[in-house]
Amino acid sequence: MSTEQDEDLRLLRESVSTLLERAGGVARARRVRDDGAGWDGAIWSDLAEAGVLGVTTPEETGGLGMGLPAAGVIAEEIGRVIAPEPVVPTVAMAIGLLHRLCPDASLLEDTIAGAAPLAVAWQERDARGVSDVIDCRLKDGVLTGSKDWVMGLADGAPLLVVAKSTDGLALVRVAGDAIGVTKQTARQSDGSVLTSISFAATPAEVLAEGAGVAPALADAVADATALTAAELVGVSGSALELTLDYIKTREQFDKPIGSFQVIQHRAVDMKIMQEVAQAAVREALAAMENAATPQARSRQASRAKARACVASQKITREAIQLHGAVGYTDEFDVGLLLNRALVLSAWLGDGAYHRRRWLELRDTEEVAQ
Amino acid sequence: MTDWNALSDAEFRTQIRSFFEAEYPEELRHLPHRPKFAEVEHWHVKLHAKGWVAPAWPAEFGGMGLEAAKLMIYYEEQQSYGVNRGRDMGIQMVGPLIIKYGTQEQKDYWLPRILSCEDIWCQGYSEPGAGSDLANLRTSAVIDGDDFVINGQKTWTTMAHDATHIFMLVRTDPDAPRKQQGISFILAKMDQPGVEVRTITTLAGETEFCEVFFDDARTLRANLVGEIDKGWSMAKALLSFERIFIGNPGLAQNALAQLETFAKGRGAFDDAVFRDRFATVALDVEDHAALYSRFADQLKRGETLGADVSMLKIWVTETYQRITELMIEVAGPDGGSLGPLQAGNVGVDVLASFYKARPSTIYGGSNEIQRNILSKAVLGL
Ligand SMILES: Cc1cc2nc3c(=O)[nH]c(=O)nc-3n(C[C@H](O)[C@H](O)[C@H](O)COP(=O)(O)OP(=O)(O)OC[C@H]3O[C@@H](n4cnc5c(N)ncnc54)[C@H](O)[C@@H]3O)c2cc1C
Repeated sequence: MSTEQDEDLRLLRESVSTLLERAGGVARARRVRDDGAGWDGAIWSDLAEAGVLGVTTPEETGGLGMGLPAAGVIAEEIGRVIAPEPVVPTVAMAIGLLHRLCPDASLLEDTIAGAAPLAVAWQERDARGVSDVIDCRLKDGVLTGSKDWVMGLADGAPLLVVAKSTDGLALVRVAGDAIGVTKQTARQSDGSVLTSISFAATPAEVLAEGAGVAPALADAVADATALTAAELVGVSGSALELTLDYIKTREQFDKPIGSFQVIQHRAVDMKIMQEVAQAAVREALAAMENAATPQARSRQASRAKARACVASQKITREAIQLHGAVGYTDEFDVGLLLNRALVLSAWLGDGAYHRRRWLELRDTEEVAQ
Repeated sequence: MTDWNALSDAEFRTQIRSFFEAEYPEELRHLPHRPKFAEVEHWHVKLHAKGWVAPAWPAEFGGMGLEAAKLMIYYEEQQSYGVNRGRDMGIQMVGPLIIKYGTQEQKDYWLPRILSCEDIWCQGYSEPGAGSDLANLRTSAVIDGDDFVINGQKTWTTMAHDATHIFMLVRTDPDAPRKQQGISFILAKMDQPGVEVRTITTLAGETEFCEVFFDDARTLRANLVGEIDKGWSMAKALLSFERIFIGNPGLAQNALAQLETFAKGRGAFDDAVFRDRFATVALDVEDHAALYSRFADQLKRGETLGADVSMLKIWVTETYQRITELMIEVAGPDGGSLGPLQAGNVGVDVLASFYKARPSTIYGGSNEIQRNILSKAVLGL
């Protein structure tokens, strides 16, 4: 990467982090959670104004045209203060799909401009968990079927749905007040919700249809996966920082607990895990930009998520342990970080899922060569 | 009165089991949270009527007078049937303290009230500055006529908001040459002007523990247990039974059963990787039980336990945590969801178990402190 690019990323990181710190940092995440508001509309507009939502889209659509490493920088900063706004789902999924499939849609421009978060429903549940196939059906302009694990869907908001049509997959828009929609929410450990939705002859507006939808979906999911990994890197980075501060100041036996060698070694292990995760996720995002095949792109995404899930879970759990009882309270921020790590690790596949997927993708690439 | 110790182990086990089966309320089995007294009161009344509230206490004080072997059986059956221990700080800690060190008046007054749960106790040891380094405690008790006047703060006091009394370690001699000296054991009422309780919310959103503030609170001098300034060694002696109890396999066994139910319901056993992971933790539990029996046998033979008993607590709490972490993996995309998760035709609250397992490596002497003890006292390092 050129130094010019490095400098751009540094500036971007600084501006996003300043914006989020000014907004209140982690304390704001706690406030929003306690209010039950989901996220803060004013901050959403500020983020849009700073170019966050259009970071990867070309300048013609109102974006910054910067690419995945830049999106990763933003995701890390979002994770660091556990900002509750659904930035990664909107940027990677909604905007990612729209700009690949219908770059001229006014919905794309509006979303980038910060009109409102836009949720995408594509995953479906079977007996085991996430189904491999999309069964929700679009026929004669109406949707029938169900979707699950929809992140960032506000009450009464429109959403995008990926459905099966006569001609491959289709990307459709469902209005906020559409008929035949039943929703159920599952409250998450960080206070957010995932929504499951079923459609019974629900009218839908077709935005794109045909052979292009499936590959666009695969790429968008890969982006969302890798960016969620970057967000996790931010979360665990914060947990590590809080822990280091704490063990330097908390005294027991007339010494800072950080002076005990066992605590020192544990802190060093956390640090190594964090650095490995950060390096791997950043490298994966850069590699995805230049990936020769969609498989190579997805493989890098799985690599990133596999690493970030393990690191963030280990680091946040260890953070609690090294804090002692205060770490188990809601009052201390490490608990919020642990809870956020649980949610982001589960979304789009956990470590175990992505380790397998990484190997499968590597195998298929080898066969293809 | 029945001499339980005269029964064969098998006979005794059957009697305990049948009583639980017949009388223990189904809805209280394997309670996922720590209940307030009101929630388990109807069960306590039955247990009390049967004379089974305090299995470890000598019969003359209203206990069952069980010898170690029978006592272990009692606890095994209690655990495996999922019988809630209720609010047992009084039974487990205050009673034994008073029996061992209390005056006749203290025994006559307090013990029956503990058995009937007329008094409900919480444990006031930890303070903001005194966690692992408990001897650093600062809460003071100063003699004033017939009273002690108490000032300071306790914290992490489990269920203090549902307790009538607190047994606490306080500093009675601030000038003692060593921190471990000048500490006394006193009993105090919670419901009085100088005592304020604030609940602390945990990261699971529960309110199980509290801060307790003392601002010129009072208790009678007669509520000093044992000798003044000698509380530290008494507190340590009290921990000796606690040390095997806290290393018992119960929590890990229950979590393992829960993991199995959940994994079956979600079809995880079809997966070779999961099978291996499951077998690993299942054997961790089973093999821990072997080590546990070794220590239990020692107790049954009437021997005292050494510092090596700390191994049990380390192994079982860390296994417990791994089991709940594996549950989250089985939950996959639902791993961040609160509340019961559907698994076949049952619901399993995965995150509740995960949360419950987290502090087990912190309380009861953190695992780091236990490892320090083992390396020093057992390995001689
Ligand atoms: C759920 C729960 C319930 C509790 N209930 C009660 C109760 O009812 N009554 C009561 O009095 N207390 C209670 N406690 C408090 C408990 O006893 C303390 O949390 C425990 O003693 C640890 O102290 P601390 O939390 O202050 O951690 P600290 O002592 O500050 O320790 C922080 C970290 O440093 C480590 N550490 C400290 N010293 C050393 C050392 N020398 N070497 C290596 N590592 C070290 C610890 O292991 C830990 O990881 C409860 C705690 C919890 C979590």
